Amino acid sequence: MAIEIPKNLDELPTTRPRYVGRGIRRVEDVGLLTGRVEFVDDVVLPRMLHCAILRSPFPHARITGVDTQAAEALEGVAAVVTGEDARRWSLPAQSSPEGWGTHCIAGDKVHYVGEPVAAVAASSRRVAEDALELIEVDYEPLEPVADPFKAMKPESPQVLDAQETNVMLDRVFTWGDVDGAFAEAAHVFQEKFRWNRLGANPTETFGCISEWDPMSLDLTIHGSIQSPGMFGLGRAATFSLPSNKVNIISHAHGGSFGGKGGTRGCDISCLLSRKVDGRPVKWIEDRGEYLLSGGGQAWDRHYEVALAVDAQGIVSGLKVGLVDDLGATGEAYGAISAAKPLAAFTGPYTIPVAQYDLKLVATNKLPCGPYRGMGPPPHFFVLEQMMDIAARSLGEDPAEFRRKNFIPADQFPYTIASGNEYDSGNYGEVLDQVLALSDYSALRAAQVEARAEGRLVGVGVANAIEPGVFDWNAYAIVGMPGTGVPEGATVNIDILGNATVRVGFSLEGQGQYTLVCQLVADYFGYEPENVRVVQLDTQSAPPSFGPGGSRLGVAITGAVLGACERIREKMARVVAVLMQSEPENIEFMDGKFTLKGAPGAEMTVAEVAGTMLARSDLLPPDIDPRPEATHVWTAAGRTPADEEGRAKSYLTAAHAVHIVQVEIDPETGMVEIQRYCLADDCGTRLNPDTVEGQTEGSVVQGIGAALLEEYVYDEDAQPLTTSFMDYLMPTVFDAPKLEMVAVETPSPFTPLGAKGCGEGAIHTTPAAVMCAINDALAPLGTSAREVPAAPMRLWKLIKEARERASDENNNY
Amino acid sequence: MASEQPQQGGIRLKVRVNGEQHESVVDPRMNLADYLREELRLTATHVGCEHGVCGICNVLVDGQTVRSCLMLAVQVDGKEVLTVEGLAEGGKLHPIQEAFIEEHGLQCGFCTGGFMMAICELFDRNPSPSEEEIKEVVGGQICRCTGYNAILRSVQNAAAKMGASRS
Repeated sequence: MAIEIPKNLDELPTTRPRYVGRGIRRVEDVGLLTGRVEFVDDVVLPRMLHCAILRSPFPHARITGVDTQAAEALEGVAAVVTGEDARRWSLPAQSSPEGWGTHCIAGDKVHYVGEPVAAVAASSRRVAEDALELIEVDYEPLEPVADPFKAMKPESPQVLDAQETNVMLDRVFTWGDVDGAFAEAAHVFQEKFRWNRLGANPTETFGCISEWDPMSLDLTIHGSIQSPGMFGLGRAATFSLPSNKVNIISHAHGGSFGGKGGTRGCDISCLLSRKVDGRPVKWIEDRGEYLLSGGGQAWDRHYEVALAVDAQGIVSGLKVGLVDDLGATGEAYGAISAAKPLAAFTGPYTIPVAQYDLKLVATNKLPCGPYRGMGPPPHFFVLEQMMDIAARSLGEDPAEFRRKNFIPADQFPYTIASGNEYDSGNYGEVLDQVLALSDYSALRAAQVEARAEGRLVGVGVANAIEPGVFDWNAYAIVGMPGTGVPEGATVNIDILGNATVRVGFSLEGQGQYTLVCQLVADYFGYEPENVRVVQLDTQSAPPSFGPGGSRLGVAITGAVLGACERIREKMARVVAVLMQSEPENIEFMDGKFTLKGAPGAEMTVAEVAGTMLARSDLLPPDIDPRPEATHVWTAAGRTPADEEGRAKSYLTAAHAVHIVQVEIDPETGMVEIQRYCLADDCGTRLNPDTVEGQTEGSVVQGIGAALLEEYVYDEDAQPLTTSFMDYLMPTVFDAPKLEMVAVETPSPFTPLGAKGCGEGAIHTTPAAVMCAINDALAPLGTSAREVPAAPMRLWKLIKEARERASDENNNY
Repeated sequence: MASEQPQQGGIRLKVRVNGEQHESVVDPRMNLADYLREELRLTATHVGCEHGVCGICNVLVDGQTVRSCLMLAVQVDGKEVLTVEGLAEGGKLHPIQEAFIEEHGLQCGFCTGGFMMAICELFDRNPSPSEEEIKEVVGGQICRCTGYNAILRSVQNAAAKMGASRS
């Protein structure tokens, strides 16, 4: 029997939702706050060894010898592995564009600073690190290439021996008559932008404990793993194991933001375990390793963008040229970040035609991986700058210029030029809300006064689409095959009526276990704190991807409600038998089954569950007596990508408008954020408090991107930012007080109308802050086109602008 | 096991941790975070950067906030250490922990212990700190999830709770 998942809160079998749609105490918190939640580094297994990894100091060098004898002789050392072991027992990374993966330990050549060259398993991490110092590696340094434009030239050093070029992909995707639009445009605006490398930096680095039995070849991995199912499949592919031989036990982890990484280190610990006869080998990445060579570097981009605008100020075409420096091997799915913008290429606007000239280039830097937002934040950063450039040139207010280009509220679902379909939206309303919240006209009036005093005060208005509930088809242009990302949950009611939900993902911070409890509580008339959520390992869990691509809130809601529906349907059949009626006469509301037209004939969920388990003899033989059901939810209606990459991919399109007021100190180039207001619409808010938490955190990550964070490499590809003294993370002093307002336009396509919202504000914040900075700089006739807009960069722009102005004055 | 064999050059250490007396022989180079986590198995002290910037590994040594990644275990000989495990008592959460729950002051929870320990010290010195004084303490550490607004609210809430319990 087909089940119907409630499309909105009114369809839940409760008179009034008591928990869904409200902020409640998180079920995760007590364990986290008392230190009882077990992170992977807290785990100690019998006979466990500790791994340390020797890394290349050269960005590009031939390895002519590795001598591990002295290390192996050190007391406490159990094993040493080198590139030879990696080649014997594993395959190159499968997460690179085809043909670009390398082994987890370098063989003949190193391709970036920090690439593993050898590793040790020893009685403690301290002994393992001592042993690293005894390993002798002979290098013959080669000329490195750090600049993707140099790397594209034929005379460039070749990063990978196996390739004849450093260009992984060079293609132009065209959606509609772009040349025609630009030929007919009343105005064409062009600009270049630079988005420097930054990254996730969760407070917990990656860690794992690997046990690979050389006899049975069973591989068990404990780890701080964001996507356990995918991770397990990846290890099976890397080690040529049947997928059912690999079991992943993911532990609660200290954030991820896509940048947990860890596959190389994990693979190395697996090789070591195999070499020591299957003893567990723990590898905990330290912060230095994370910053030097972890999973957290992303988006090293050079943009060249053009916007066509007609005589009425309507944007008629968009061309984006992107040279994306993916680092040495493109592993860790970094290429996906360049493809994801297709899910929302033209933002919230009606821009009918667009073009994407995309070049993925290898250099001797760390391979780029995922980070929160997975690519669109830089894309919106450039699109919103272009909107401001056009508005300023046409003398229009940036808010109103955007408004007249918005997709109107009555045109959803709306298919954009790059192929995705937006589910719903009310962009004008979101804009109105934040204009009112910020008292926009007063901000502008204050700006006029400040400018009259010679102060550099600016107001930025920017908005973006957050694609939610990802699908693999969005990444077809970089070779990711497939459509459909299932998420499952099993709901079980025990003999005393208590509910347990079994899921396949671990705690990461977004409060998904609380959401599960809210859903079950409202569905069955329970209290959230009495619902237990249990995480299973990959050999026991229902199909699961876990968090990623702003999907889990929507997907787990579908899975849990689907499982609840299945239990209700099964219980209604049981109740019908017991009440000597038919299932269609049984109604379910507020946790009670009742018989239509028979007042007083009712059973609670607990009574039905108890009867099913204790008196299964009373049930008809075709009813499975377990009050338990599993539902696997997958987004409906997704389509395979066409030749130009067009697909119905991400299921939901959330929208936000941010208004930021900044002042720049011309003497130092420091930016002070004076007001930060935002309105956002992510459909039905299943837990407004946790949504707000995601937004607040994402704004501050966006501020980090706009003003602080940068992985700096010198021109020889040596990394210069390898501690938190150099890589600047936002602190409380960088976090403005946030003023927020919510608009709720439910999605017609999702359970309860919710949209993906976890990645959130980072889509908009860097654009909004940069729009404000450029608004402040406008009177000087200069503009900043590079993030982070660090004081040194702005100070230089201001100084140059003033020198130009004084030269011009002198010429009069 | 995680710990090394007793060292030849091991140093004897007596320390009171969360009210409990411990005696150990430790490697002179072992830092306090590793001692707490590996020797005493008090794993609520998390390690975030190991170079003293992030503040996640904060513990109190004789009432002072200390980065346990930067202090050697032998330096706490004869001293009193308080860790996150020492906050809740008798099955009841500390008011700071309660406040973090109420204000959603944590998401992944990995860094929260370090914040709570530093805030404990702040309240010992100053039971009703101003927002600037709170920022001065919170500004010494890194949280990647919350964006700090909720942490500030949590500290203000905790101050109110503790003030109420005193009066």
